[in-house]
Amino acid sequence: MPVVKVLTEGIGEVNLRDIGEYRKRGGYEQWQRVATTMSPADVIDLVSKSGLRGRGGAGFPTGRKWQFLPNNGRPRYMVCNCDEAEPGTFKDHLLLEETPHQVIEGMLIGSYAIGSNHAFIYIRGEFKRGFDIFSAAIEEARAAGMLGDNVFGGEFSIELTPHRGAGAYICGEETALLNSLEGKRGEPRLKPPFPAIKGLYGEPTVVNNVETLAFLPHIVKNGPEWFAKVGPEKSPGYKIVSVSGHVKKAGNYEVPLGTTLRELLEIAGGARDGRTIVAIQPGGGSSACLFEEDLDLSYDFDTMAAHKTMLGSGAVVFFDDTTDFVKAAHALVRFFAHESCGQCTPCREGGHWLELTLERLLHGGGLDSDIDLLVSVSHQMTGLNLCPLGDSIEPFLASVVKRFEPQFRRYVKHAEPATV
Amino acid sequence: MAEGRVAGRAVAERDFAAVLAQVKPEAERLMALYPEKRSALLPMLHAFQNVEGWLSPEAMAEAGRMLSVPLSVVESTASFYTLFFRRPIGRYMLQVCRNLSCRMNGADDVMAYFRERLGVGHLQTTDDGTFSYEEVECLAACDRAPSMQVNLEFVYDLTPEKIDELIAAMKAGTYEVAPLPQTAMPARDWHVGQDTGRKSPGGQDVSHPNAPGGMGDPSGIDLIERLARSPYPIEARPTQERLVREGAERLKHAPHNGEVEH
Repeated sequence: MPVVKVLTEGIGEVNLRDIGEYRKRGGYEQWQRVATTMSPADVIDLVSKSGLRGRGGAGFPTGRKWQFLPNNGRPRYMVCNCDEAEPGTFKDHLLLEETPHQVIEGMLIGSYAIGSNHAFIYIRGEFKRGFDIFSAAIEEARAAGMLGDNVFGGEFSIELTPHRGAGAYICGEETALLNSLEGKRGEPRLKPPFPAIKGLYGEPTVVNNVETLAFLPHIVKNGPEWFAKVGPEKSPGYKIVSVSGHVKKAGNYEVPLGTTLRELLEIAGGARDGRTIVAIQPGGGSSACLFEEDLDLSYDFDTMAAHKTMLGSGAVVFFDDTTDFVKAAHALVRFFAHESCGQCTPCREGGHWLELTLERLLHGGGLDSDIDLLVSVSHQMTGLNLCPLGDSIEPFLASVVKRFEPQFRRYVKHAEPATV
Repeated sequence: MAEGRVAGRAVAERDFAAVLAQVKPEAERLMALYPEKRSALLPMLHAFQNVEGWLSPEAMAEAGRMLSVPLSVVESTASFYTLFFRRPIGRYMLQVCRNLSCRMNGADDVMAYFRERLGVGHLQTTDDGTFSYEEVECLAACDRAPSMQVNLEFVYDLTPEKIDELIAAMKAGTYEVAPLPQTAMPARDWHVGQDTGRKSPGGQDVSHPNAPGGMGDPSGIDLIERLARSPYPIEARPTQERLVREGAERLKHAPHNGEVEH
C-alpha cells in the first residue's frame, strides 16, 4: 500500500508556515465555508459520519466526544493537545512546525462545531521553536481575518491562545493538561466529571489531538465518505505513523489505516542489513509488544485492540534480533517512573521499584525471583490509578518478559543467601 | 537590589529590579490572554527564566504577587515541571534523550561520551559554568536518533565527531544556538528535588543499586524477596517498616554463632 499525502501534503516541498503559500493551496477555504454556510450541527454530523477517531492515543470517536457537551449555556472551550511526549511519537511535532495553518484551520472548525469562542493549544515545553512558529502563524491568521471578533462578518467570534508547557509527560493526559493550563501542577483529576462536563475553569471542554483537528478541513472539503471508505469500517481514514527503532529510514509516514505492519516496515526501508525484526511496539511506550508472527496484522484501532495491544498515538517501534530487551524495558520503565506525577501510590512506588529492580538486574545483582517480581508488580500497579500512566508499564514489560525471558534470566547472578 | 539566596559566585551584581522592568510588560500581556489570570503562571515563569537564565526565588515571588498566588504554590507548581531551573545553570543546557528509540540507536554511547568529555554526570554543571548536562525522556525526534536539545534547539543524529564539534564551537562562542543568559554562577548540582539523589521510598540513598540500603544490598534483596514470597495475601501483608522492625528484633534475640540458646 502506498504512502499517501493528506496532512503531510506539501511538507518538505513548500513553506507551509507562510499563510500565503497555505492559502494558495486552498488553505482556510474550508474554514470560510464552515463559518459562512454551515451550522455547528452540520459539522458535528459530518465528522460523526466520517468515523474519525482521536489520533492522540485513546481512539475515541471525535463526533461523539463533541456531542457529550451539555447545553447549559456555559462558556465552552476547545483545547488542542500538542503535549506530544509518548515515547516513539513525533508526528505532532511535524504538523506543529511544518503546517501550523492546517492545525489552526482544524482548531477553528472544531471550535465552531462545539460553539467555543476561545480555543487553546497546549504545546509541550520542549517544542520552543514549534511554539514560536505556531504563535507567528496565529498572528498571520489573525491579520488575514481568520480569527477574532465576528469572523467573515458573521456572528461567530473566536480567540486562539497558544500555551507552552514546561516539561511533564503527564500533561498529555487531558485532565492533567487542563490543570496545567490553569497554572497548576499537572496532576490528573478524578473522573467523572469528564472534561465535557467540567473541564477548563470548570466549564464544558473538548480536548482533541493535533492530528485529529488537522483532519477536519480535509473531511469538510472531501466529505465524510471520502474518509469513511478508507481502511477498516470501524477504524477508517488515514494516519501519520511515526516509525522508529531498528529500521533503515525512520520517519513519519502517512498511510491508510489497515496497512499491515509488514508494509509499514517496508515503507520505512526495512530492517537493517542482515537483521530480522523480532518484535514491534505498535502504539507508543504504553503499548504491549507484538512479534514477528504478527507482522501481517492490519494496523488499525480494532485489530490492535483484539491482539491485546493498541494503536495508541501511532508510534511504531521495530526491534531487530540485536535488541537487549532488558535495556529496552529499563528505558521505558524508567520513563514511566520518572513521569509519574506522584498522586497515586501504585504508580509512584511501583514504577520506582520496578526501575530499581531492572537496574539491579542490569548491574548483575539480580535474583531469579526478580523476573516474577517484574510481572507481578507491574500487574498489581494496573487499574488502581487516577489516570492511565500507572497502567502503562505492564503491557510492554509483561509482553517482553514473557517472550524474551531467557534474556532476563541471563542477567541473573545468584547473590549470597540473605542472612537475617 | 535583590541578593540571590542561592549559593554560587555572582557573575555580576544582580539587579532584579531591571529584570522585573523587562518582564513586566510581557507578564501583563500574558495575564490578559486567559479568562483566569492564574493560567499565565507557566508562561510568566518562562518569561522570567528567559531573562535570568534560571528561575530565581525573586522571580517566583514576583509571579505570585502579580497572580495573587502564594509563593508556596508557585514553588510547588514550578517544581512539578522539569524545564524550570530553580538553581543557576550553565550557558548551554545539554539535554540528551535517554528513551527507547534513541537508546536503540546508540544513546548509551552518546551519554557515556558526553559524561566523559564534560567531566560531569546527569543533572550537573561543569565547573566553569559553561555546560549543564541532563539525560531526558523522549524528545519526539525518534526518526533522527540519537537526538538531543541544546537550549531547547534540536540536534539530531549524534556521533562522537558531532559532539566534539558541538562542544568546541560552544567553548569558542561560535555555536549557532545562542547561549543562555547567566546571572549567577551555577553550583555543580543544579537540580532541586527528588532527582538530586536517588532515594528509596524509605529514604535510603540508592543512587547505585548496590549501595547500602539500595536494591542490590543484601538486606534490601531479602526484604523484596520476602515480600515476593510472602505467604500473606496482598492486603494482609505487613508494611515494610514492620518487616524491618521485626527483622531487627529477631536479629537482636537470635543466638550468636556457636552459642547455645539458654
